[in-house]
This record gives sequence, structure tokens and C-alpha cells, in this order.
Amino acid sequence: MTTQPTLEAPSAEHSHDPNEHADSESARRAAEDIVSYARYSLCQPIAALSPDELFNAVALSVRGRLVDGLFETDRRIRERDPKTLNYLSIEYLLGRSLGAHLDSLGLRATYRDALRLLGADLEAVERAEPDAALGNGGLGRLAACFLDSLATLDLPAWGYGINYEYGLFKQELRDGNQLEKPDNWLVRQSPWQIERYDEAQSVPVYGRVEHAVDRSGNYNPMWLDWQVITGVPHDMLIPGHGGRSVQRLRLYTARSSQSFDMQIFNAGDYLKAMERQVASENVSKVLYPSDTGQSGKELRLLQEYFLVACAMRDIVSRFERDHSSFEELPGKVAVQLNDTHPALAIVELMRVLVDEKSLAWTAAWDITRATFGYTNHSLAAEALERWPVALMERLLPRHLQLIYEINRRLLLQVGAHFRGDTAKLARMSLIEESAFPEVRMSHLAMAGSHAVNGVSRVHSQLVQENIARDYHDLDPAAFASVTNGVSQRRWILQANPGLASLLTRRVGPAWLTRLEAIRELEPLAEDEAFQREFAAVKHANKLRLARYIHDSSRLAVDPDSLFDVHVKRFHAYKRQLLKVLHIVHDYLALLDGGAAPALPRTYIFAGKAAPGYQRAKQVIKLVNDVARVINADRRAHDYMRVVFLPDYRVTLGELIIPAADLGEQLSTAGTEASGTSNMKLALNGAIGVCTADGANLELRDEVGAENLFMFGSSVEQVQALRRGGYRPADYRDSDPSVRRLLDALGSDLFSPGQRGFHDWVVQTLLDPRDEHLHLADLASYLEAQERAARTYAARSDWLRRSIWNVARSGRFSSDRAVREYAREIWKISPV
Amino acid sequence: MQLSVEISGDVAVVALFVDELDASNTAEFKQQIAPTLAEHQKLVIDLGAVRFIDSSGLGAMLSCLRQLSAKGGDLKLCGLSRSVRSAFELVRLHRVLDIHATRSEAVKAFSA
Repeated sequence: MTTQPTLEAPSAEHSHDPNEHADSESARRAAEDIVSYARYSLCQPIAALSPDELFNAVALSVRGRLVDGLFETDRRIRERDPKTLNYLSIEYLLGRSLGAHLDSLGLRATYRDALRLLGADLEAVERAEPDAALGNGGLGRLAACFLDSLATLDLPAWGYGINYEYGLFKQELRDGNQLEKPDNWLVRQSPWQIERYDEAQSVPVYGRVEHAVDRSGNYNPMWLDWQVITGVPHDMLIPGHGGRSVQRLRLYTARSSQSFDMQIFNAGDYLKAMERQVASENVSKVLYPSDTGQSGKELRLLQEYFLVACAMRDIVSRFERDHSSFEELPGKVAVQLNDTHPALAIVELMRVLVDEKSLAWTAAWDITRATFGYTNHSLAAEALERWPVALMERLLPRHLQLIYEINRRLLLQVGAHFRGDTAKLARMSLIEESAFPEVRMSHLAMAGSHAVNGVSRVHSQLVQENIARDYHDLDPAAFASVTNGVSQRRWILQANPGLASLLTRRVGPAWLTRLEAIRELEPLAEDEAFQREFAAVKHANKLRLARYIHDSSRLAVDPDSLFDVHVKRFHAYKRQLLKVLHIVHDYLALLDGGAAPALPRTYIFAGKAAPGYQRAKQVIKLVNDVARVINADRRAHDYMRVVFLPDYRVTLGELIIPAADLGEQLSTAGTEASGTSNMKLALNGAIGVCTADGANLELRDEVGAENLFMFGSSVEQVQALRRGGYRPADYRDSDPSVRRLLDALGSDLFSPGQRGFHDWVVQTLLDPRDEHLHLADLASYLEAQERAARTYAARSDWLRRSIWNVARSGRFSSDRAVREYAREIWKISPV
Repeated sequence: MQLSVEISGDVAVVALFVDELDASNTAEFKQQIAPTLAEHQKLVIDLGAVRFIDSSGLGAMLSCLRQLSAKGGDLKLCGLSRSVRSAFELVRLHRVLDIHATRSEAVKAFSA
């Protein structure tokens, strides 16, 4: 079992100079504020607070400042009544907030000094904050970066999500296997959350539709006999940089509408009395319950509707406060669907407009389409949600009726547009017909949105050519592309204060809100003095990570070795396996011929596998088995170290990414929609080993192919290989080193005494159905790694390219992405 | 459950004095209102005191309407709070039931 050391906060050399002091009066007042919160909110004298409680007192004090900013933002919005964005996402991967909020508000020095006055240390207080891990990976982190950018750009916006009691699991390792432990992040209640019981929403589910007529004799389907779940909002306040705007992320907690049945309780059956309450509250219990079983599927659909119903009712009631006609809705409200999970929002708005507000169908549909935008995040079949019609009918019978009507009208339109093309009708139908028909959620999202976008240029193109081809043919103007971005406030200022400080000294502070400004670094890329400063920052970050690795796994790594980093979810298409092949290849070269690698490397992995995804978990086990053997082999001692850091999360990313020299982006071309770790790594000076996939291609356009290590098949080559019959055995038969590699993996070299334990690797690699074409890209990948090693050895050349990566990554700010959405899709303006 | 019944001409006006009309008390409500339903054709139910209604409560209202309709009568509602009215709108019952703001408006509507 691994132990988890505390993550080291990056503050010793934080950009905001530790020697910089706030004026003593503001520090004294902040200290009094903290003492007051400790006393009156936590009911403790300051001296008696545990580290967790001290964090709560400090956070409550900072929250007070955020509330002031929120009121001021609300006042401006009330005065101007602007169009507002509502961002619906099933995930938000926020990480820690204290440091980010202090930096946004310009209060770091004040609180550092305040805590010194109280005999405490700000960095230690920051470390006490648990990560808010209400997300799984890139999708949730993107949502968090977008909220940061929206507030920074003063764009009026609300985020909506679910207040999961348990975030993504905590990952531990046992004998190299992933072990999932619950992440009860709310166990102490988050001081950032403000409960708003008065604004709770009642969410009906289940029941039946009764076909009746109204008082005028018209058909009037009535949704009867439902059960109610109550959605209680918990607001988290998100400040923009500079603190001028503060916005809300509204997360809903599911509560039972009734406490429990008193009669059953009094009869002594306490468990039964609580049964219904517990079932209702399960809805916000856990992020992504396993959907392998029927009950898991039902819970997931329930979660999606719960989010959608709460959010849409809240949005409609806010709109109705100041407006009387729903025709105004698209001019005042934009709703963005972050993937298909919240796609039922389209049906929910139709239900509200048609059933509750009595609008005619056509008017309601026009309003709905003009209101929604949909972002597609994946082409993978598994990511294209489908819900069994039977399940939908049981949970949401009225919504299914509405889906049928949307579909009927859509197919009439398609039929009129593409006369005689019955295949198109079948492909575009919202219902996939079979013995067990299903609702296609991506089709629903496309049909009900005026704008559909992919998240990188190549991904958007593939969306239009593949899953959305028919919809694109019907309405090409609805399709757009907005390349993802990341927040420089999180991924440089918070994660890499040394670099932040250097950037501010050299190009001024403009980069914090206009990342394109870092292009001014370009002339410094060959400046020796600057290179030394830049290298010193990287070295300090590597030392920091090396200390963490030592504390967490008792493994000494050399900070002068090349830090080769692969951090992301474990998934077949991300090809962690290719990275393992590279490591084993170098190790075998050392064993067989004594050919030492060109330079010492530390291979660093981090990432989680979905609990039900056995193959990804096997890859984690493989990485750890390879690591155990190599790290124990004295022959490899001076050249290779393999590290798997458990429990990858935002805070760990903030530690690893600034220390990376090489950033691995190995996805099979055409599979990664965008990727954002490529952007985070480039911004921190890591040079990418990249396939021609997702946003890697745009990174190449910005920094130049010569400043990356591109490799592997292009999208077209991948398609041709798959079409032409991929024959992986040919690579083995024509290259002895590939054969040697496969033999080693099939032996007990990495599973002593358990020959055949990793046979699945060999089978996967030699399987002509290996859709990720590992062996086709292997030679090119190994060659790219050799180039990387040669370049790293030429120190000045490496630094020049590394600086160039930073200087040319300004486009990958989430500020740019959000500006594009605001201008092209949401049509919102700063307030 | 406390119900009050007032007679205004040929209209019976029933007021409910409960915070919530839900699965825990709709059976009792149906039992208590049964004699009034049997005796009258024109009925107003004043929901002014009700803060929450669930699908059982809505079902009870629909049941009252159907019993009255079966004998040529009608049901009108009044005094609905915003959240209670939302529940009626949710199931489209507001299109089936005649809903008025006040008791006097509801009574008057019978003579319109």
C-alpha cells in the first residue's frame, strides 16, 4: 500500500514575492476577520483550531470578500439586464480554491501576513484544503477553466452542476493494482459552499402519462403519479482575476422531499422508514456510478435529469423575474451543453414552454433551438450516450413523449430536404430502432441546438464528416469549431509560481489576462541569461517533484535526468501502452547489448482508470510491474527510473506539469478530441512528443513542428491502415527488436514467477483488430524519442525550444476559447 | 386533517388547513371531502394554506373533478401559491381545472 504525503504547496518561491508585505493595517484586519470567523462560525478560539479548521476559518473570511464582489456583480447585471450564459456540465474539476481566490483578489500578501500575525503559515493552510474532485478528467477541468475565464472576462454567466457527496474515487495502489477508495470531500462541509434552501427545486420522476382532454376539448397528456426529489442549490463563488466579477457555480444536492414515513417509523421499522429518503439522496451521492448494471444506468439517467430539471427551472424563474414574454428568452439566455450528459435540458425546456407556459409547439421549438448550444467532446462510440427507451419511459414518461414528437417533426423536415433518402431518415432519427430501441442523446443535442461545436480544428472536422455528417448536411451553418483552452491563472500562476514570477518580470503582468502577451518572450529564447533563469525555474520544480516522489514512494530520482511525463486518464486510445513499449525497449537495449540510453530519464506516469475498465487497470498494473523490475535493477540505476504517482488530480497535476521536460501525447490520430494536458505542458515549457491528433496539430502550427517531436500515423493513414487490413505481425517479423520486445513482455521478466501474466499485452499488440495500431506507430515513436534525447543533451538548443513552446502557446488560454464562444455562439458581452 | 366547508348559494367552498397535501394525507382528505362531493355539484377548493402538493395531492384534485363531472358538476380551485400552481402546470392540470386567484372569483365563475 502506498502512503500519500502531503502535496507541497508551491509557495516558497511564489511569484507573489514572499518578501512582499501587505500594509500592516489590512493584514491586521484580515487577522481579526479570521479570528472572528473561528469564534462565531466555528465556535473555537483561534489557538484551538486544527489545521482543517484553520483552513475553514481562513476560507470563510475570504468567502466574505467574494460575497462583496458578487453583490457588486449582481448590481451591474440588474442594471443592464444582459444576455447571460448558463453552462451545464455533469463535471467540474475545481481542485483547490484558496490560493486561486487569494490571487484573483490580490490578497495573497495580506493573508500571508495576517496568518503570520496569528502564528500560522499560509502555505500550510493551503495544503489543508481538499481537492474538489467533482469530475473525471479533461471535460470537468475544462468546465472549471471556463468558469475562471468567464469571470475574468466579466462575461455574465452561471455554472450548473451536481454537488456530488463523493467525488471521483481516491486511487491507491496495492501490489501495483489500482484500488479505489471513496473520496468523501464534503465530509467536513466545504466552507466555499453557500446553501440556498429557499431556492430549492422539486424534481418529479417516474409516474405515467394519462391521455386526457382539457377544458376546450384538446388533447392534454398529464404526467401523474410521479415522485419528487428536492434539489437544494449550493453556490460556490468564482472570482475573476482582479476580483471585478464574481459569479456562481450552482451545484445541486438531492434531498428527499419527505423526511420519512412517521407511521412506519413509529411502528419500529426504522430502516424501511428511511428507505425512500436514502434512495432519493443517492442521486447526488457519487459521480459516475457504474452503469454496467440496470440500477446503475437508472441512477445515471436520474442524475442527468436531476441536473437538467434543477438548472432549467432556476434559469426560467430568473428569466421570468424580469421578462414577460418567452420570445425574449434567446436574447437573454444562452445555455451551453458540455457534452451530451445535460442534453435532456432541451426536452425539459420544451416541456416547460409547451406544458406549463402553453406556447405553441413551433414557437417553443424555435426558442429552444435558439437558446441551446452543444459541445461534442468525443467521437468514441462509448461516449455517445444512448438511453433505452424503456428506461426513459419509466423515469420520464412525459419527456419520452416529447422526444417522439421532436423526432416526428425532425424526420418530416429531413424527408422534405432529402427526398427519398430513407437511410438518412434512419441515421438521423433520435431513436435507434432495434429490439431494444434507444434514444440517441447526441442526435437530440444536435437537433435541439443552434450551434454544435467540436473542440479542436481536426476534431470538429471529424465530427462533421462522421457522427454529425447528416446533421451537417441539413444545417451546415450550425456547425462551428472552438479549440479548448486552459487557464493560465491555474496552470502557471498557481502551479508554477516561479515561472509566473519570471514572466511578469520579463513581459509584465498582462499575460495573466491576455496570454498572447507571452509571445514577447520570443526574442529571449536564445538569450543565455534568460535561458539560465528559465532553467533554474524548471530545476526548482523538478526538485520539488523529486522530493514528493521520494516522500510518496521512497524512490530517489535525479532532478538532472530528463523528466518524461505521461499524465492523463488511463484509456486505450491514449496509448499509455506505447509509452511502456518505449521504456521496455530502452531497458532491453541496456540488458542485451549494454547500450545505455543517451541520457538518464525519469518516466513519470499518473492517471486513473475507470473502475469498470479492466483493460486500463491492467495497463496500470503493467506500468507498476515494469517500474518495480527496472527500479530494482542496478544495471539500470544510473539511466532509468519509472514512477507511477497515485491519485492523479488537479493538485498533483499542478506539481507534476511544471516539472516536466517531455510531455507525452500519444493518442491514436483521430481519437483525442483536443487534449488539454498538451496545452498545460507546453505552457510550462515541456516539449511534446505528439501524434498528429486533436489540438496537437494546432500546437504544431503555433510552435512549429521543429520545436516538437511529432510522430506516428496521420488521421488519413490511420483510416487507410484500418481499411486496408492492419497486419501487426508484419512489424514483428520484419524487426527483431519488436520481436524481442514482445518476447520479453510475454515472458516473466516483469512478473517474476508468473509467466504469461502480461500475455494480454502481446495478444493486444498482435491483434489485427487493435484499433490503436500500436505497432504501426512504434518505430516512429522510438525515433522521436531518440530525437528528444539528442536535443535534451544539447542544453541551449533544448532550452531555446522549451522557451519557444511557452512563448507560442498564448493561443491556448481558456480566455481565448471563451471569447470565441461568447462572440460566435453565446452572443454575450462583458458587464 | 382540518377542512372547513362553507356554502355560498349552490356552491360549496372547502378550505384545507394543511401545509402539505401529499401521500401521507390524501387518503384522509378524500375521506373527509366525500360527503361534500356527494351533496354538491359545484365545488370550490381553497388551497391557500397549502405550501406543497405532490402527485398524490394532484391526483386527489383530479379525482374530485371526475366525480363532479360524472354528475354534471364542476370543480374550481383558488388561492394557489406559486409553487403549488407550478405543480399543477407541471402535469398540465391547469388546463383541466379552472383555477382562480380568490375564493370570490372562483364562486362567481360558476355563474358566468
